[in-house]
Amino acid sequence: MTIGLSFIMGAVAGSVAYFMLGLWWPVALVVGIVAWLTFGLFGLKMDSAFTLMSGAILVFCISLSMMIMRSSDQLSSLQYADTVDEAGTEFRYPVPLLGEAPYGENVYRSNGCSACHTQQVSHEGVEFDIKALATEKNHSAVKEAVNRFYRVTGQPASSGVALGLPVGEWETIALGASVSDAAKARSFLSAAGASVDVQVRFHGEDLEKDEFSNPRGRGWGKRRSVARDYLFVERPMLGSVRIGPDLANVGARLSRSTLMRILLNPKSVRQNSKMPQHSYLFELVEKSEGKGLIAVREGEREIYYKPTKDAEALVDYLLNLKSANYPLEEAPVYQPFTSSLPKPATSEKEVEKLADGEDIDSSK
Amino acid sequence: MDPREVVDSSCKGPVLFLAFSAITWLLVYSIFSMLAGVKVHASGMMADSAWLSYGRIQPASQLALQFGFLVQLGLAISAWIFSHRGRTVLVDGGYLYIGGLIWNAGVTLGLLGILSGGSSGLEGLQMPAHILPILFTGFVLVGVSLVQTNNRRTDEEMSPAQWFLFTATLWLPWVLGSAFLLIYYFNAKGVMANIIDWWFIQNFTKVYLTFVALGVCSHFFSSFTGRGVIGRGYSMFAFWVLLLFGSIGGVTLGAPVPAWLPALSTVTSVFYFTGIVAIYYVLHHTQNGATAVDESDKDNLTLMRLALIIFALVSVLNLIFAFPGMASTAEFTTYGAAIDLLYNLGFVGLLLIASLYHIFPRLAEMGLSPKITKVQNMAFILGFLVATLPSALGGLMSGDAVLGSGFYFSSVGDLLLLLASLLLFLNFLGAIIMVIKRCDCLSGLCGKQQRKEVKA
Repeated sequence: MTIGLSFIMGAVAGSVAYFMLGLWWPVALVVGIVAWLTFGLFGLKMDSAFTLMSGAILVFCISLSMMIMRSSDQLSSLQYADTVDEAGTEFRYPVPLLGEAPYGENVYRSNGCSACHTQQVSHEGVEFDIKALATEKNHSAVKEAVNRFYRVTGQPASSGVALGLPVGEWETIALGASVSDAAKARSFLSAAGASVDVQVRFHGEDLEKDEFSNPRGRGWGKRRSVARDYLFVERPMLGSVRIGPDLANVGARLSRSTLMRILLNPKSVRQNSKMPQHSYLFELVEKSEGKGLIAVREGEREIYYKPTKDAEALVDYLLNLKSANYPLEEAPVYQPFTSSLPKPATSEKEVEKLADGEDIDSSK
Repeated sequence: MDPREVVDSSCKGPVLFLAFSAITWLLVYSIFSMLAGVKVHASGMMADSAWLSYGRIQPASQLALQFGFLVQLGLAISAWIFSHRGRTVLVDGGYLYIGGLIWNAGVTLGLLGILSGGSSGLEGLQMPAHILPILFTGFVLVGVSLVQTNNRRTDEEMSPAQWFLFTATLWLPWVLGSAFLLIYYFNAKGVMANIIDWWFIQNFTKVYLTFVALGVCSHFFSSFTGRGVIGRGYSMFAFWVLLLFGSIGGVTLGAPVPAWLPALSTVTSVFYFTGIVAIYYVLHHTQNGATAVDESDKDNLTLMRLALIIFALVSVLNLIFAFPGMASTAEFTTYGAAIDLLYNLGFVGLLLIASLYHIFPRLAEMGLSPKITKVQNMAFILGFLVATLPSALGGLMSGDAVLGSGFYFSSVGDLLLLLASLLLFLNFLGAIIMVIKRCDCLSGLCGKQQRKEVKA
């Protein structure tokens, strides 16, 4: 092997050791040099199955430890989290499936619904808007902090701030800042003693539609899906192709009867649906007796379909899918400026939660 | 006797057995993917039987394609290359029969399992859990013979083709076994199961299938053109880079997992591409401007060149779509599945079939019908192009959760593929029957019967 090529091999070995395995840099350097010398100087030849196999075992271990073990270490500590539902009631999240829903999950799995439907809501980005309020006492310090923030992030000063920070009024400091910029603004401003108010906006096709921040939203969820959503799911069916809509939050969108109709004949709900019919989940019945029958008009007369046990369980399961609905620490939902809200009807505790531990002067 | 004939006669039975079952699985695949396409066009058709629902046919067809056709034909061709490159007879060919039988039983049970509703719900490992140990056993038994044949080689130094095939033979049981243990035995919790699944898919396509195809490619390019092994250093670089970076990654952009996993996948895809460039350089220079030494290999060389072009195309696309900006446009659309299919059929499948055309006459002592072969090649090439490219483009243009018109084209492609695989199957079957008719053993049996008749 030429000396140049072996040098590249050494460089690759060294950078893998440093960047990917996270070894201490002198160790990584030694690894690189050893690899260079083995291939270049000592002329290691790949002429034996033994060399190949030991190399392959080494690579296999690297692959396994880097991808599987590392993520397992990180994810195994995942636990319940507290969250609030639409009515403002706190509960522990995620909630394991109850009743017929686990059986319905099996129906979903065995019929391969994940061939067309994903169960993961993604977002394209998150943006932070930041407002600050300075009092007479700390005005100059806050002004200094604001200037420092603009210097550090390289943004030009804008709006009222450029002219001078008003005292006793909320003033917008940054719009559409990134996570790290927002963190900087927060720390600078709070250190200077200002009150800080943060608005979190998400955008992405999958999320709820918002005229200003997310006009293309399809309303498949209030937030992106995270690993915690699948804590109790055995082999989650995340899916990779969306021929139909995402179902991570379908329980919050559709009712029981709509879901049944879609299963029986999707075209009756959406004209151009590509979903196949699932008549095998229904039985034809003579009379309109009993609950939960689906009537279909065929010419003159009406035909009634009775959902089988599988269909009932499947719909139970689908109605339980509401994961992208509740805010989590790692995945907050849209959160408007608290300062511009009407005086809080919510309790003191929740306001604190919304502001993520920041001082809020407006609520005083 | 020519030593090559001795080698060929040792390979004859086992390799033809594996190849024949692989071709049968290709036919099964094309039937199922055809049915799956029909379900999309006529949503009311076959709606009364659960086992014919789209969600079951589609994974079943993938299983038939990947585990039935690609892996099995790959094993058959590897066995032949190991014994020819190593100038030795195939050691313990009986293992190929036993292993092949177990492997086929595993794939069949897996297919039935998926159709009857026992699917695991994981993308690359759709078969029910208990199928995986069967597949593992089958592969290891075949592998025993391949590794021994490689150990018995006459030249001490292994050529790049042998590195690639040897490592691929080791790699699949490792990843298959670990995926089974981690998911089912250690009960991976929540999204860990998906991460392991993606890791398996990544290893299966980027390492196993790619290595088999590259090994086959580098063997036949050098043997068809008579140029011998060139660019050994580049091959070595490519080998280790592809192995290391192909075995890590495969996590999609927006997946609900820790953010470093998708980022790592992007990084490894870029490094992986450097390995692709190196191996492409070698393969390009092995065959560029050369003509086949043997006139009968001319068409096979052309087919392999086409496969190499598709390999380059897909690799460049994979690099481009590894970056977050492009990946987000393609995510969840039909693009990803279409490009995977193009890689499986257009690169790996086409290469393996072309090498089967070369091997078959040497083993069976009679060729496939040249006329039918021409037709089936045209149908196959057109088929996979029409089945994949419009659907990939349509996916990019229309976005996710919408099926663009590309899907209609892909059904035409499915139809062509069905025609091609049916012709290939009949062609193969016809040739085998002719061989058996001419073979002494059968005429011996017939002779006995005739004698009995005479006695009576």
